[in-house]
Amino acid sequence: MTEDKSQHNGEGADAENIRVGVYICHCGGNISDTVEIERVVEAAAKMPSVVVARRNMFMCSDPGQSMIEEDIRTERLNRVVVGACSPSLHELTFRGVLTRAGINPYLFENANLREQVSWVSKGDPTGATDKAIRLVGAAVAKARLLRPLEPIRLEATPRVVVIGGGLTGLRCALDLARLDLDVTLLEEQPFLGGHLAELGQVYPSDKPAREILGELIREVSAHPRICILTSAEVIEASGCVGTFLLKVRAAGEMETQCFSAERIAADLASRAHGPNGDHHNDGAGTTELEIQAGMAVLATGFDHYTPSQGEYGYEEHPGIITLPALIRELESGGLGSGPPALNGRPINSIGFIHCVGSRELDGVHDQNGKTELNHYCSRVCCTSALWAAKQLQARYPDLQIYDFHKDIRTYGHGHEDIYEDTAKSGVIFCRFADTAPPKVTVTESDPPLMISLKDELTFNEEIDVPVDLVVLVTGMVPHAIDNLVDMLKLPRSADRFLQEVHPKLRPVEMAVNGVLIAGCCQAPLDSVESAAAASAAAAKAAALLGKGYIEREPFVARVDQALCNGTSACVEECKYNQAVSLVETAGGARKAQVNAAICCGCGMCAAVCPTGAIQVDGWRLDQFDAMIDALLVNY
Amino acid sequence: MTAGNSGRKPMILILATEACAYPGADNTGQIHAEYSTNAYVVRVPAPVQFNEEFYLRCFDKGIDGILVMTCGHECPYAGAYDRTAQRIGRVHELMKERGLDTRRLRICAICTVCSKAYLKEVKAMVELVSQEQAAAVGGS
Repeated sequence: MTEDKSQHNGEGADAENIRVGVYICHCGGNISDTVEIERVVEAAAKMPSVVVARRNMFMCSDPGQSMIEEDIRTERLNRVVVGACSPSLHELTFRGVLTRAGINPYLFENANLREQVSWVSKGDPTGATDKAIRLVGAAVAKARLLRPLEPIRLEATPRVVVIGGGLTGLRCALDLARLDLDVTLLEEQPFLGGHLAELGQVYPSDKPAREILGELIREVSAHPRICILTSAEVIEASGCVGTFLLKVRAAGEMETQCFSAERIAADLASRAHGPNGDHHNDGAGTTELEIQAGMAVLATGFDHYTPSQGEYGYEEHPGIITLPALIRELESGGLGSGPPALNGRPINSIGFIHCVGSRELDGVHDQNGKTELNHYCSRVCCTSALWAAKQLQARYPDLQIYDFHKDIRTYGHGHEDIYEDTAKSGVIFCRFADTAPPKVTVTESDPPLMISLKDELTFNEEIDVPVDLVVLVTGMVPHAIDNLVDMLKLPRSADRFLQEVHPKLRPVEMAVNGVLIAGCCQAPLDSVESAAAASAAAAKAAALLGKGYIEREPFVARVDQALCNGTSACVEECKYNQAVSLVETAGGARKAQVNAAICCGCGMCAAVCPTGAIQVDGWRLDQFDAMIDALLVNY
Repeated sequence: MTAGNSGRKPMILILATEACAYPGADNTGQIHAEYSTNAYVVRVPAPVQFNEEFYLRCFDKGIDGILVMTCGHECPYAGAYDRTAQRIGRVHELMKERGLDTRRLRICAICTVCSKAYLKEVKAMVELVSQEQAAAVGGS
């Protein structure tokens, strides 16, 4: 007998020739200790289109998988439902079984009977069994309406554009090049190195930051696969994963490897004078060019938080400065080689105030014209402040240092040692409550600045500490990249940093296909974490581009053109450029059409379609309706 | 086999986002925290795909309470959370017109490890629909 492949795959099948196999897992006893498996199997056997219902001690085991594989062949199954653990564990395992047995892998549906039934219902086995039956019923109902799908295969340009030439971008570019991908590295400043170039010795190695960067920049600029464009700005972005097209305006070196050792050293040395350094463009002129790339990595970094005028007395006295400004002074020898002084004024005492522009609370911190408060912790500033205090102590042993904090969060590897070192060597720590930040006042006396607070470490004693210099330990804010966010439709978190798909499961991917993130554009990170994220993004990009094409899950919107009235409601609703557009059909009518490479599968279009013509494959509204109906059936 | 919700425990539908709330529900299981067996989780990429009629249809069919568990502002899809929140507001208006208690449809944000928040939401909805069912039985 010749097998009808289309029917076997369920293509165009009506309810009569759909053949569902249901498999219930004991999971050792994880499910069966609470759920009466035999009852679930009996009920499943009565469900519409179910031709086989079986159980196994471990469905994910080789015998379990073989049982399904054999049934698909012998019972001519064209849909499979497995009631077992969460789909996050074995959805791919069971899709693989379907593939091996010769049917489309997307004709599989899972019922989560462990994490969402047995493990949460130990006290109610009867209720758990009833719930398991209903969930299996819902899975069967959805399975009956599943359609075969194919992964979306997209041609891929073996080039990655890395946006941002700080530590993260440099590390990522070098890793990508070593994985045999071409890289275009874009940096908006005339020089490479980012904020790290502003620092002197950095923890944990004590090595000067500019030495670390110098080595990295030399390797990056010498690599034949890397093209560096400085003073570069993305002015247009189009295309999709595999074939992004970026229009870039750049004024720096163009596809030449002319970053000499002297040039790198001069650029980095200039950075000690501030975030913008004193590098001047040497009249290279502005050029526009187009870059085609398979993927993009955003390594756009952060900006230092700038306090508002009057925030802890900022800009009201020259002795009130930020931590980055103090570090610059230290790097350029600004406090002098003898007794410390700033702008001719002796400095005998310094007070560090933590959490300036971080961990702000509504109703406590003044917005001072800012659009939003920064509720998040900037994570690295506690260690940075203590590191600066340690260096000050080493240089100026007579200097009295005070540290005013809510908490000390020296969370990283080895950071706690820095805290201990400073505590042992005479830094005086005071703690203020979240709701009562210290006040800074300018006085006529000497020292001229007064820090007042209730100190929780001395049982809320009200103290006034006179100091010569107040250092505001400022945190990070995401670097302003509104243009990129608009052009690429990038999601941002409530903290305004770029939002990954999932912090643990997909930590360097964005919902926009083909766009990866690394470093402080995602969240405040230290340089060690940024470098790790950069390497992770490089590995992810290489894994996706290495084959020369990209395969994506097929869960994107699809238009039934027979139902489409061409209202363009979906086009107007969609947030992703050109993911859905109206096209003229052969008959002259205008109908919606989805670009599967761009569509992210959110389904925003489906909700506004007046005829239900546009639906997300694998997550269709009729499938959800069928699931709800099935949940309400009593077996 | 019969359909409908007559004579059984009230039924709660949880629409849980694949990126956040569904792993959050899994996490609740992984810590073996117990909750009522009449709360049913359905995995969705983003609840923004459901139109107003979908929710009303669920109530018509016999679902007693719906929890739309989203990623909140951490939603990976541009604009989807705000759109969903707006839509739930519109469904509430339609529910009022139909004399339905708007507390039976609730939107919240649940992260991948938000077990406490997940349990709190489920417990509150179970209590609400149980009270309403008891009141309906008492009044009939």
